[in-house]
Amino acid sequence: MDIGSLKKESDLSFDVAIAKRNALEKAHSRLVVVYNEHIFRADAETINLVKTMEEVHSSPFYILDTNNNPMEVSNSKELLHVLVERNQEAMSSYHQMSKTFEKRND
Amino acid sequence: MTKGILLFCFDTPETKYHTVLERCVGLIKKNLQLEITVVTNYETFKKIKPLGFINYKFVEPELGNKKNGKEWRNVDRHLAYELSPYETTLVMDIDYFPFTDNLKQFLATDYDFLISKDAYDLTNRDSFDHRRWSLIDMVWATVFVFRKGAKAKRVFDMVKYVKQNYAYFNELYRVYGKNFRNDYAFAVALEHANGFIKYDTLPIRLPTLPPDCKIVKFTDTGVAWQYGDQINYTEGQDVHVLNKELVDV
Repeated sequence: MDIGSLKKESDLSFDVAIAKRNALEKAHSRLVVVYNEHIFRADAETINLVKTMEEVHSSPFYILDTNNNPMEVSNSKELLHVLVERNQEAMSSYHQMSKTFEKRND
Repeated sequence: MTKGILLFCFDTPETKYHTVLERCVGLIKKNLQLEITVVTNYETFKKIKPLGFINYKFVEPELGNKKNGKEWRNVDRHLAYELSPYETTLVMDIDYFPFTDNLKQFLATDYDFLISKDAYDLTNRDSFDHRRWSLIDMVWATVFVFRKGAKAKRVFDMVKYVKQNYAYFNELYRVYGKNFRNDYAFAVALEHANGFIKYDTLPIRLPTLPPDCKIVKFTDTGVAWQYGDQINYTEGQDVHVLNKELVDV
């Protein structure tokens, strides 16, 4: 491969890497969700915590929001639903973007 | 409980900020669907095209601040508390374009004052790590939310005090730039108002395009930009555009 083609490939890889990084940041922004006047990240850690508490602790239980302020959870099913919905909305969008990156790299 | 968005917009001899406002308002109506109040002066107001239902508040901007040698009418942000007709207010720079409804939910929290400490450089250069440019954490006064009450009032009173004595605080905290920046005025005020301990923040990084990025396309869903020989774009993501030549796109 000549140096011109290599540079072209390199530029394309750079563009794709930036676009992918930005898409991930977009997904992270979307994971932030407000529930019961508190702010949470609908990430794996929060979802796992709520699911675990639901299974092993009687209601209500208490969790910390993104500013480390406590919130009483009296309806864990509702919170879990909100977290999972938001998580999958963000991940689905990121997944779709990832597919377009694969095509660009082909 | 009334909720709404407060925007500040003043044309300068060099920049037609009212055209930036028109784009921003269009996106707010589409994605955030909240009542809007624009703080402006009559000179700028005359040039704004009809934007539907908008509240206007007229103030004469305080002059004298400059950025890169150009007039920078950014000094009036401390008036947000008095000028907002809402109980809970989202204050946004007009060059922050809400391509999503992400910000809307922050008006439904029980926090009195929320602001972001981080920006995200969409060009992958991490050029907004401003911690090294002052002794205190910088905040981004680009977007903040406050709920009227004693705590928020205390923050704004402190911002006013910092503004009056900005040269002193600027030296004290060894802020790199000498012109007035709301980011540092609010950062200093929040440190003081909160007793120099950690305060509540918005857990988001503001996606930002640095000033050397030329906007080559602007649509209802996103922007494309050029930096050097690279062109890239983003859709469905809020964007803070620092290059004011945006008005020409």
